[in-house]
Amino acid sequence: MDPRSPSRHTDVDGGLAIARDLVGIRRFSHEAMATVYEIYTVHPDEQYAAQAAQAAFDLVDRLERELSRFQPNSDITRINQLAAGAHTRVTPSTLECLVIARHMFELTGGAFDVSIGTGLASLEIDPDELVVRASTTRVRVDLGGIGKGYAVDLAAELLEDWGLERSLVHGGFSSVLALDPPAGGEGWPLTLSDPRDPSRVLARLSVRQTALGASGVRKKDHIVDPRSGDPARGRLASWVAVARPPAAPDGGARTAPATVADALTTAFMMLSVEEIRELCARTPGVEAWILPDDNERAVLHIVGSDTA
Amino acid sequence: MAGQDEKKSSDGPRKLDRRDVLKGLSTVPALGLFGYAWQTQRKYQQAKAEEAAAPPEAPKDLQVVNVALLGAGAQGQVLQDSMLRIPGLRFRAVCDIWEEYNQKRVVNTFRKFKHEVNAYEDYREMLDKEKELDAVVIATPDFWHAEHAISCLKAGKHVYCEKEMSNTLEGARSMVLAQRETGKLLQIGHQRRSNPRYLHCYNKLITEAKLLGRIVTVNGQWNRAVSPDLGAPDRYAIPQARLTQFGFKDMHQFRNWRWYKGKGGGPIVDLGSHQIDIYSWFLGANPSHVMASGGNLYHDPATHEWYDTVMVVYDYDTPLGATKAYYQTQTTNGSQGYFENFMGDQGTLLMSESEMNYPGTLYRDPNAPAWDEWVQKGYVTAPKEQETKPKSEGAIADVRESVSPDQHTLPVTLRDPYHQPHLQNFFDAVRGKAKLNCPAEEAYMTAVAVLKVNEAVEARAPLSFKPEDFKV
Repeated sequence: MDPRSPSRHTDVDGGLAIARDLVGIRRFSHEAMATVYEIYTVHPDEQYAAQAAQAAFDLVDRLERELSRFQPNSDITRINQLAAGAHTRVTPSTLECLVIARHMFELTGGAFDVSIGTGLASLEIDPDELVVRASTTRVRVDLGGIGKGYAVDLAAELLEDWGLERSLVHGGFSSVLALDPPAGGEGWPLTLSDPRDPSRVLARLSVRQTALGASGVRKKDHIVDPRSGDPARGRLASWVAVARPPAAPDGGARTAPATVADALTTAFMMLSVEEIRELCARTPGVEAWILPDDNERAVLHIVGSDTA
Repeated sequence: MAGQDEKKSSDGPRKLDRRDVLKGLSTVPALGLFGYAWQTQRKYQQAKAEEAAAPPEAPKDLQVVNVALLGAGAQGQVLQDSMLRIPGLRFRAVCDIWEEYNQKRVVNTFRKFKHEVNAYEDYREMLDKEKELDAVVIATPDFWHAEHAISCLKAGKHVYCEKEMSNTLEGARSMVLAQRETGKLLQIGHQRRSNPRYLHCYNKLITEAKLLGRIVTVNGQWNRAVSPDLGAPDRYAIPQARLTQFGFKDMHQFRNWRWYKGKGGGPIVDLGSHQIDIYSWFLGANPSHVMASGGNLYHDPATHEWYDTVMVVYDYDTPLGATKAYYQTQTTNGSQGYFENFMGDQGTLLMSESEMNYPGTLYRDPNAPAWDEWVQKGYVTAPKEQETKPKSEGAIADVRESVSPDQHTLPVTLRDPYHQPHLQNFFDAVRGKAKLNCPAEEAYMTAVAVLKVNEAVEARAPLSFKPEDFKV
């Protein structure tokens, strides 16, 4: 969602890829949010699978219209135009996204900040009235670091609704959600590789019911640390895996592992290793891989304490 | 695995399985579980509410309008999203025959935002029971519009009905008559009629400033890429008896009714109607003739009875003279999306509802009077700088690559979702504070112009309109 911004390249391919050609898997692709979304799925009926994938892509397109800061009449553009004291109504999806964004801001001590330091706290969110109010004029929201994951989470829910439980959804490979694997498999095979040298595979994973997010910088790219306004240094890439909790029995609460992974991977480009370790330790189900920008480029794997 | 792990791992791929972490989840809900975030937000909000003044609602004297949504499919959900943003509405009911899916989804969304709606499968039951309704918003398939709109009007409700008004002229005509007979409001969903960008073009640029001069030709299109037919999750299929009861052969026809004769009108009606409506509005006339070529060039004719490709030329006798207007829609390649292009002897206006793709560009003919006055008044932006003066004295021109004509942009932006201003206009009219921007008689004229295209394709010959064809 943020491909044209010179200051934040969180969407670049952090080196996350499907490990090998998969036999018997159907693949559907769709351009949205300035990248390519793909669905890998298993279903005997090609047309049925295509219709399900299309329904998921339609959903992604709708979210892009609501969440893009480039769309003149999106919710986010309206928020970014608010004068001090003014308010606007947003769709339920935008509201959810903002609420999760605020939560991630708190969880990461401000390292993940959809307002990039312009004052997320000056946005008041009223979930009952679907209202967002700005207490200052200067706040600018960019959901580029979270919207892709949110779309992946919702697309995955839709696929499950269609009975396509054995699926994997990704947005530009930087936000991946693996549901159940193909029959007989233990997980979906994924690789993490060095963004400066994609042939250098850093890790091979087999994942199920797990979201993976990737952030990376190529040459000349940089990510601005919202806490200081300076470019973040010292990292080439970060990956975050977030276990997908089972859906709540009442269907009421939404799980958003890809959204969370999307946010954390951005934050982990900036947080110190100690901070990341501490966050993983108190947040079961989260693990991280950090690729420092040094001569050795040795990946550091950080696993939360409750993750066996 | 390359690099250093903090924990030892086996040689094979690491397995990440949610069972590994279930234990932790119940105690530390920090995984972005939406419910948790929601709860946190609510606490935050409660604290805010206690310390702050009244909620950011509209004026206290705003008359509350009680609304039902009839038709909760894709378009109904678009309207729902817009309506949830309009203050002063109280949603009372949702009616849709797809109880298992769309009805449930739309009802849940309304309830999540404190609208205690009742759900119905049959609109007649809804009208019987929901006595407090002021207005019904209809987004059902075209072939239901006439019956739904007329029943609601006769039950004393104001009606907002999606376009196309009806799939038949008789249906559209009966809607106009019912509106007249009941005196209730009937707005048709040609939402560009309330879009401030289109209103600015019509009122200021074309009517007042006459920037285009005499519009002699118009062209426009809505192109879409191939996409699969709409499907439905197997587990939520509608029982056949209910499908039959409501006029659908099967689930495929229910989902893809737009392609079927007797149900919808194909892309020329679904898409073309929006833009052909603008042609007639901006030209200030109804067409006199139409010729069209079309066919089903690509899709399976068993499931796509209407034409996937249509090219049409209208003749107009406008107050300023004769005009030819071309329109095409095709469903095999989405190149250049959708736009309308009005070409006059003094200027050109290229625009689209999609401002992101077509911001609204005006070109002044080099021989036309200067637009300085309109730039100063803010009707158009200042032209893109074109350096044409020679740098050295004595020369009349600096010879170089060709310079483009003056290019201006529309200074008006729509910040709300596309359908919101049109819905707002309807609810303002319900409160007696506005005139409808697209009342039934107006939409009827567009229905006449558009439904004739399918006839012209079949006839393979030019067809003519009489002025009285457009009147009820």
